[in-house]
Order: sequence, then structure tokens, then C-alpha cells
Amino acid sequence: MSRFPRLALVLGLAGLSAVTGLTATPAVGQAPKSGGVLNIMQREDPPQGFSIHETATISTVWPGMPCFNNLVLFDPLKKTESMDTIIGELAEKWSWQDNYRNLVFFLRKDVKWHDGKPFTSKDVKYTFDMVREAPDAQVKLRINPRKDWYANVEKIEAADPYTVVFHLKRPQSSLLMMLASGYSPVYPAHVPPAELRTTCVGTGPFKLKEWKRGEYIDFVKNPDYFVKGRPYLDGLRYIPIQERGTKFAALQSGRLDVAFPGDASKTIADQVTKAEPRIKLTIAHQNVNDNLLLNVTKPPFNNVKVRQAISMAIDRRAAVQAVHQGGAVVGASLAPRPYGVWGLLEKDLAGLPGYGKSADEKARARKLLIEAGFGPANPLKVEMATRNIPIYIDLASFVISELRQVGVEATLKQIETAQWHPLATRKEYQAGPNLTGIGPDDPDANFYENYACGSPRNYTGYCDEQVMKMIDQQSQELDPKKRVQMVWNVQKKLEEDAARPMIDWRLEHYLQWQYVKNLIPHQSIYNYGRMQEVWLDK
Amino acid sequence: MSLVIFVLLRLAPGNMVDILFSTGGYVSESDKAAIEKELGIDRPIWVQYVDWLRDMATGKLGKSYRYDLPAWELIKPLIPVTVELAVLSTIIAILLGVPTGVISAVRQDTSLDYVLRVFSLAGLSMPSFWLGMVIILALVAWIGWIPPITYVSPAENFKIHLVQFLLPALAVGYRSSALITRITRSALLEVMREDYIRTAWAKGQSGRIVIWRHALKNAMLPVITVIGIEFAFLIGGLVVTETVFNLPGVARFLVQAILWRDYPIVQNIVMFIAIVVVLSNLLVDLLYGWFDPRVRYG
Repeated sequence: MSRFPRLALVLGLAGLSAVTGLTATPAVGQAPKSGGVLNIMQREDPPQGFSIHETATISTVWPGMPCFNNLVLFDPLKKTESMDTIIGELAEKWSWQDNYRNLVFFLRKDVKWHDGKPFTSKDVKYTFDMVREAPDAQVKLRINPRKDWYANVEKIEAADPYTVVFHLKRPQSSLLMMLASGYSPVYPAHVPPAELRTTCVGTGPFKLKEWKRGEYIDFVKNPDYFVKGRPYLDGLRYIPIQERGTKFAALQSGRLDVAFPGDASKTIADQVTKAEPRIKLTIAHQNVNDNLLLNVTKPPFNNVKVRQAISMAIDRRAAVQAVHQGGAVVGASLAPRPYGVWGLLEKDLAGLPGYGKSADEKARARKLLIEAGFGPANPLKVEMATRNIPIYIDLASFVISELRQVGVEATLKQIETAQWHPLATRKEYQAGPNLTGIGPDDPDANFYENYACGSPRNYTGYCDEQVMKMIDQQSQELDPKKRVQMVWNVQKKLEEDAARPMIDWRLEHYLQWQYVKNLIPHQSIYNYGRMQEVWLDK
Repeated sequence: MSLVIFVLLRLAPGNMVDILFSTGGYVSESDKAAIEKELGIDRPIWVQYVDWLRDMATGKLGKSYRYDLPAWELIKPLIPVTVELAVLSTIIAILLGVPTGVISAVRQDTSLDYVLRVFSLAGLSMPSFWLGMVIILALVAWIGWIPPITYVSPAENFKIHLVQFLLPALAVGYRSSALITRITRSALLEVMREDYIRTAWAKGQSGRIVIWRHALKNAMLPVITVIGIEFAFLIGGLVVTETVFNLPGVARFLVQAILWRDYPIVQNIVMFIAIVVVLSNLLVDLLYGWFDPRVRYG
């Protein structure tokens, strides 16, 4: 007999979210029309094919999302992502139990994989045991960037074919946020993960029709999709175009209907909408930040004063103008409001190193450098290593010019992508500007990935016991108001320690033709690519 | 040649596995070792080389590390795209370059000659990819249209296929024609100073016969050489044009494979380019014989 009989639900402290399927309604006004193929900009052929769990790049998530479903997802029709906008996909209902230590999902019974096999709780257990590298996991991912998201999961139980329970070591309300991300699809247990690098078998609204490498990826409507009447579109075509001018010319001429998330700068967006007023611009947020990696495992950045000085030297507001032409916002380690829900308030930000008035901050930076033993006679010499991609180089050039103003002799070293991550992981660098994208706007997803001791993506090697304790404490806090305060404290501590100085958060300037309806950019580029609700008004 | 390709590739720092991990934003040394073993790239280079040679000899061209598909399956459909673009570009270059060079030589030091020389110099100065980009931007700005951004085969729609290839071929052909114009002009000027040409004029032959039948035929040898070199260069050199016009050709794929350290793909494409270079040089040598009967082989 199942330990969790359906009729005997125990409501979690935060309440039960009971959403049957996708109840979101289309945008106000018109009735959706069925039909048509959406032509979608794609940056490159998806690395690792459709195996979303094996990458950390939007290039795979964007074309992969229509093929899959999650247990839960952020409502595609709501721009802001939070606990309140999570809706069910493969899970009809879910329930927190035992003071947020157990998360029970009651699964839909009418779901089939694209090859006709039925979806059951076995697929969920298989997927997340694989991702968390459970001792009894059936398979192992070749590359596993988000293992740390599930570090708190003790075991996953497929109680019956349509019930699955995540047993946690301690309370963690953020687990639901991470499961709602575009980075958390459910894989088929009967298909080896390696196969998903060349083809796609999911439960999603669209089935893969053809992937012509380097040319296009075609999807067709899934006629057996469990949400009746969806999708509206007959198909999707993702077209990889590398050359920036060509891709936006293609959008402007109507060869493409929608852009690729995060691709259009403010300047490009303004130019395109001016040239073609029928293209709509939506300003949202990417949940991607520019930050500065300082290798804390070696001199000089093992000295907190030197790190603070570097952070103070950078005029973040000038970076927003110089590097992004105004298309970014200043914030600490979590996305600032109104784009994120956890960001520090302006008044708290202003008091942190590097966030005050530029002239004052630079003066403080010089003073700190002198205290650390660096001055005009003995200048600090820093080699800025960064990937040899324009968006990284632009940022690096700005940072170098800022550092020179406080007497730091900074030079640029461009590193090819193939060498960058090995170098960063092995901490064989001094400093380097970096971009970091985070799936959901969630403290656990961000902190455990980028700041936790020993995390493979903690490139700086920053490891502070007190901070780890603060991160763990906020993760377990169930009172939202208390938790926000705790998260603010973590952010302040990270900026005070200059663990990984934040420079800015990139805004999204999303372009699409006006006849494309219900493709609503979210505050993170990683979570709204399902295409289930999208329709064409033409 | 094969040894050079093989070794040079592996001298570049990093390998495919580093790229794979970069898509995940981290590197795990233990997992990296496992994947290198899976792909066979952990073996000594000489072992990999011998295996590759043996596979080539038996017609096995390997598997793409990135796509996990047979290399030939990926490369085969791309070859006609690049070859067609190269051939069209060369035809345009010849059709534009030779007559322009002839006119420029015949009308030496006239205003027409100066105009044509500036025209050809502009072609030499403008990178073809830049010209391609300007064409696309001009089209979208003036008429709100650009050629299709996915490949349309001749069987699907010949008219659209032609339009799709004509624009990039014009951009590349114009640049190549510039060189052909200059070579044709200087070669023709040299030939036209020969005694037999003066004799032909003295005999009252028409200008058309003197220039096109006598002079040009003898001036063509250096022009053919340049055409052959340009064509061979185009096969690998079309990468940026293919990128700008989003054509799925071999040249673009080669650069992507290099960035991805996809050794089987790079090795196969480079060998293909080497074969094309050899064949085009052979064709040029054979054409010498046709243009100049004094050149005999065998």
C-alpha cells in the first residue's frame, strides 16, 4: 500500500498548490488561432544536441524546451518568475510534507512519450537520480553542471506509477524553483541519455521532425499532447545563424519571426525597431550577470583588501553605459528589483564596496592598495584573462581602464574557449571578467552553484565557513520575509568580501514580430522556451 | 600532407572534451579522462595516426566527435554547396574580369581604362564578406528582403536557388574578377607589343580578330594560372561568405569543426581541399596545352 494515498493529502506549511494542467489563459483580447510554423532564431547548433541536463547554455535549452516537459514550470504567460507563478506540467498536483522535507508529486496519467510509451514516476526517479548522481542511479551523465542543485535530495521514491516523492535531508523550498526551470526537464527512462544528443524523445508539445546540422531544426506539433488544444502552432523551425548582421536582417525581413534570447543589444534592438516598426521590443531581464573573477587561492587576491580595492575601482554605473549603452542594471549577487525578487534595495547597495560614488570609491581603492603594500613605486600588476569573444573582451577592456585609474597595471590576455574553462576550473589565472547565467532567480540555484565551497563552478575558489552557514540557513528558512533578509545578508557579505564582484545584470531586449502572440520573455532567458501557448495572428 | 594535418591539429591547445565541458561551464578532470578514453583521443598520437591512415585506406572516414555521426554523412551534403558557389563565383569573375581587362588594355591610358582600373582596385580592396554584408543590409534596408537563410536546392526551387547563390557569388566573383582584370590587362598589353600582333594589324585584320583570336589566346596562360589558384583558394576561403549568407558549405563547417576540435571532420575536409587544389592545378596544366599548342605533355 502506498505510503502516500491520494485521498490522504497532508498539506505542507506553505499550502498546497493544486493546478490541473496548464490553466494559464492567452493574452487578453483575441482568441488564439491554430496553425502556422514559427521561424525562430538560433545562435548555433545546440551543443550536446537536446540533452539539456548536460549543458549550461541557452543554445541547448532554447531549442530543446519544446520537446520536453518538466514536473512543474514557470507560467509561460507571466513575465515574473516566483513561487506564485509555478504551474504543473507532468505533475497535476504537488504537496510539501513534513515541514518541507518531502515533496510529493501526483503525476498526470494521460501522458505519452513521443515514441508512444507511457510516462510514469519511474521516468522522474530515473531523471533526477541521474542528475544528482545517486549511488543507485541507472546511468551517469557525461557532463553534469547542476548536480549541486539536488545535493539536498536524500532519495527519490516512485511510490506508485503516478506518485513520486523527493525526500530531502533538510527543508528546502527552493527545490520547486529549480524544478520549474527550463534546465530541469524529465527524461525518458527507456532512452539512453547519449541518444538525446542526436535526437529528442520527450513528452512535450512538439516532436522532433528533423535536425539538419548547421541548417535547421524542425519540430512538428505533437498530436497526442496531454494538454488538449495545444500547441496552437503546427511546427517550429530553429535556424542557426552565426553572423549577427545576417540574423537581424533575417528578422527584419520577416525570414525569422522571433529573435534568440539575449542576442540583441539595446543598440541593435533600437535600430531594428526603428527600421521595422512592426517588430515588437520587450525589455525584460536575462538573469545573466557580468562579474569579475578574482582568484582567491593565490596572491594578490587571497588578500581581502586587494579584492575590495579592485571592486571599488570599478564604476558599475559607467559600465552599464559604456559596455551596454544603458542595457543593463546594477545589482549584487542576485538579480536586482524589479527584475528579481531577492535583489538588494538601492539604499543597501549604495553602502557596499564599489557601489557608491565613483570618485569616492576610487579614492578608497587607492588607500586600500597602499595598505596592502601597493603604490606608485610598487604597482599592483594584474593579468586579466578572458574568453576571446567580443562580449567578454568589451567587458575586460572596460575593467582594465577602470583599474588603471587607481594605479593598477592591468593587461588583457585573451583565451580561446577550449582553454578557458579548464584554466578557470584549475584556478590558473589571476583575474578575469566573466558572464554567469542562472536558470531561475533563486538563491539556492545561484549560491550553491557559484559560491559553495568545492562547487566546480566556483571559479574563484572562494570558501568561507560563515558564508556557507548563512547560505545553508537561508535555504532552510520557510518564512519568506525572514528568508529575504537572510539572502540580503549573504549578498552583502559576498560583496564586502569581494568574493566575485558583481558588475551589472544584463537586460533582455527581446525582438519579435507583432503577429507572434503569447511568447512572453521572462526575467530569465532560460525558462520560457516551451512554445506551447504561442500562436500566430496572421 | 596527412601527417602535417594530423599533427598540426593536435598541437592546438585543448581538445573536444574541453569544448564539451565548456558548454557545461566547468571541467571535471576524472570525467574528462573518461570521455577522452571513450573518444580514443587519450592514446599516443602515433597510434591515433596509424589508426586513421588504416581507416582512410579502408574507406572509413571516422565519426564526428561533436555530432556523433559518420563524418562523411555530415560533409557530403555540404560539398555541392561550396563547389557550386566557387564555380559560380569563378564564372562571374571570368565574365567580369576578362572583358574588363581586355577593354582596359585596348583602351590603355584613356579615361575608360582609368575607370575600369579603379573599379578593379575597389574589388581588390573590398573584402568579399564585407561586400556580402553590405549587400544584405542594403537589401533589407531598401526593399525589406534578403535571400532565403536556409538552403534551397535546385530540385526544390531552381529560381530561388539561383537567387540564393547569385548574390554571394557576385560578392566573391567581383573580388576575384579584380585580380583577373589586372592580370589580363598586363598580359594582354605585353602580348600586343609582339611582332606578330603588329603584323596582324598591318595585314588589315579587324580589331576583334586581332585581340580575341590572336592576342588574348596568347595572353591567357597567366590568367588561367590565376583563375586556377583563385578557385582552389575559394574552396577553403569561402568560410566568411558562407557565414554571412548562411549557406551550409564545407568551408564554414571546417572552421566550426576547428573551433570544436572535431578532428575527424577537420582532417577529412582538409584532405578534400587538398584534393581540389591538386585537381584544379591539373586542370590548369591541361588547359595550358589547349591554349598554347607549344606546350605538350608526354
